[in-house]
Amino acid sequence: MFAVIYIPDFFLQAALRHEPELWTRPVALLNKELKKVVELTAVAKETGVCPGLTSTQALARCPTILIKTRSEAQEEAAMNILLECANAFSPKIEATAPGICTLDLQGLSVATVENALLHLWAKKVIAQFSKVLFRAQVGVAENPDLALHAAKIASPFYFVENSDEFISSLSIETIEPPPEILNILGRWGVGTLGAFVALGKDKLAERLGAESLELFERATAHTIRPLNLVRPKEIFEETMEFEHEIETLQPLLFILRRFIEQLSRRLELFYFVAQEIQLSLKLNSGEKLERSFRVPSPTRNIETLFRMLQTHLETVQTDSQIVALHLAAKPAKPEHFQFGLFETALRDPNQFYETLAQLTSLFGSDRVGTPVVENSFRPDAFRMEPVNFEAEKVLPISCRQKPGGEFSKHLTFHDFSANRQSAALCLRRFRPPLPVLLEMRGGRPALLNSEKFVGVIKNASGPFRSSGNWWEPEALWARDEWDIQTSTGELFRVFTQDGDWFLEGAFD
Amino acid sequence: MPPSKTIIELRQLLSERFPGKRFSAEKAPSANAVWPSGIAHIDDLLRGGLPKGGIVEIVNQRKNSGSALLMAALLRKAAAENQIVTLIDGMDSFDASAFQPETLARLLWVRCKNAGEAMKAVDLILRDRNLPLVLLDLALNPAKQLRKIPATTWYRLQRIAETTPTIFVAITPQPIVSCAQIRLNLTRQFSLEDVDLEDQRLLAKLKPELAQHRLILGEPPEKRAEAG
Repeated sequence: MFAVIYIPDFFLQAALRHEPELWTRPVALLNKELKKVVELTAVAKETGVCPGLTSTQALARCPTILIKTRSEAQEEAAMNILLECANAFSPKIEATAPGICTLDLQGLSVATVENALLHLWAKKVIAQFSKVLFRAQVGVAENPDLALHAAKIASPFYFVENSDEFISSLSIETIEPPPEILNILGRWGVGTLGAFVALGKDKLAERLGAESLELFERATAHTIRPLNLVRPKEIFEETMEFEHEIETLQPLLFILRRFIEQLSRRLELFYFVAQEIQLSLKLNSGEKLERSFRVPSPTRNIETLFRMLQTHLETVQTDSQIVALHLAAKPAKPEHFQFGLFETALRDPNQFYETLAQLTSLFGSDRVGTPVVENSFRPDAFRMEPVNFEAEKVLPISCRQKPGGEFSKHLTFHDFSANRQSAALCLRRFRPPLPVLLEMRGGRPALLNSEKFVGVIKNASGPFRSSGNWWEPEALWARDEWDIQTSTGELFRVFTQDGDWFLEGAFD
Repeated sequence: MPPSKTIIELRQLLSERFPGKRFSAEKAPSANAVWPSGIAHIDDLLRGGLPKGGIVEIVNQRKNSGSALLMAALLRKAAAENQIVTLIDGMDSFDASAFQPETLARLLWVRCKNAGEAMKAVDLILRDRNLPLVLLDLALNPAKQLRKIPATTWYRLQRIAETTPTIFVAITPQPIVSCAQIRLNLTRQFSLEDVDLEDQRLLAKLKPELAQHRLILGEPPEKRAEAG
């Protein structure tokens, strides 16, 4: 038993897949080379436009007709989608022609003569194609050629129960005879395959020549030709070239959402999730904007993937309009993660990285992240690094501390700093340090004039001298620190560097 | 009076059919789950620790009452438990060099320039629902900035927080969070002699006063009576 999935007006369906609303409008699809109409919507047909017309002729017959040109990229992607979907129903598939896929049902539970079971199966196939925005017709018969004939006349499903009866009812044009033979048969009054076969193989060969033998074979369709089996490429991409350039975010997001929905459905067919999304925007100037998004927790959730793109695009400004959009998903097998008893992992990493992206777009990457203290004695030397809580499963500190917390033989800056600082009152830093006027009396700070405090210094502790980078004259630094308490009880740290005084922070 | 046999059977049937549902006759799950701060006298004061799903306001009544010290202790405790901590720093005043790399590795630090930015950040972070401990540090923000935060903003944040297991601690120079579940005033003023004391001794010296302790909805009535 064989099934054929047939996509009528395949090129047009490929072109209008992401704009289904255009099916209710007159639309004609032009051949790229000949610039002639190849396929058109039913509404366009009603206005008198027919295949073979030039765009000018089509516009003359229907001024409101929308002219589109065939896109090879879209057709190739559409064919791949057709194979992907077909592969979900049978492992043996053939890419018979553009928009036609033949399935070998041998060995499958549906390969029975039970009409109801086949109907149910075909319904599922058609529903699946409708999810990926294709209108499909399905034909099932005992051999591939008959199944194709059945698919072409199906609405939307046709099961050939009696092959001979079915063949005899088909039009002679189904076997696509050459025009001269078709003309002769027409004059003989032979209109159906039944009448054609009834003439007999020998008689036809005598009158119409050797060519008619091949037509006879096609008309009887009793032979089962071997299928040229293929496997879908598992490339998850969606492409669109815009008729009119896109200037604002909203229409772009609208199309992107449809792309994401489609990619998600296609991934679902293979039980895959997206681990990376690649976005490419082609600009009118010829420039290409490309960006890859790693999905922290691979998923095919439409909302999650869409929000990831939306957050990025809201911060993007292009020099010229967008003329084409390409979106690809890198597939991966879904991760199965079991939360531990002492839960410390992120419950929803995608949501978290989405929030991080929002925070970063609001404040900038230098103001959101994880601080890493530089290996330097210079005060307040740190850098911000992107958050990556998943990278390292950090052991609890209590498991790693040295007994007694003693300094090791080789003292690092971190040891020094953390040990000194953890055993002290915390400092709230003023960034940058505030310039102040400070008066010394008897070698100790006595009066402070700053925006935080003006008055007498009651108590002071210091100086604490530090210096660094003596080997680099440009980066050399040296300073004296004092911890002071004002007459109102406030605690500050002040320091002097190159003769100027600064307020570094307040103890709290 | 014990419920009749029919009612018991009906309850059993319903619990089998709808295993995820809870019926009003059952006792509500504990609404006042807490996370111990690790500072004994504060945990005693707060009846076990910092509550989840509410706002805890720590008021730094004097400029050096130890709010940064308390914040550092919470950071270290959370990192020791391998928890992720978010610090929304209202005036970019956090001193990272005072911490071990292991503590900083579990920290998400948002460096804001004013209270307005901090409120935007906290809104996003609370909505995220991934982060167990969120610290909002407004201790250094000028009163002028804090006055600009509408009271409704705090109510909105409270509404978000109460649906999550997040511990949300706001450190402020004066009481501004009217809907805080707990308000803790730090009243001690540290002196210059305290600057170099060990952190455990410093923490023991903290003088917290419980100024407000509201019960959250869903708490068993006996607890309410206790608190009242």
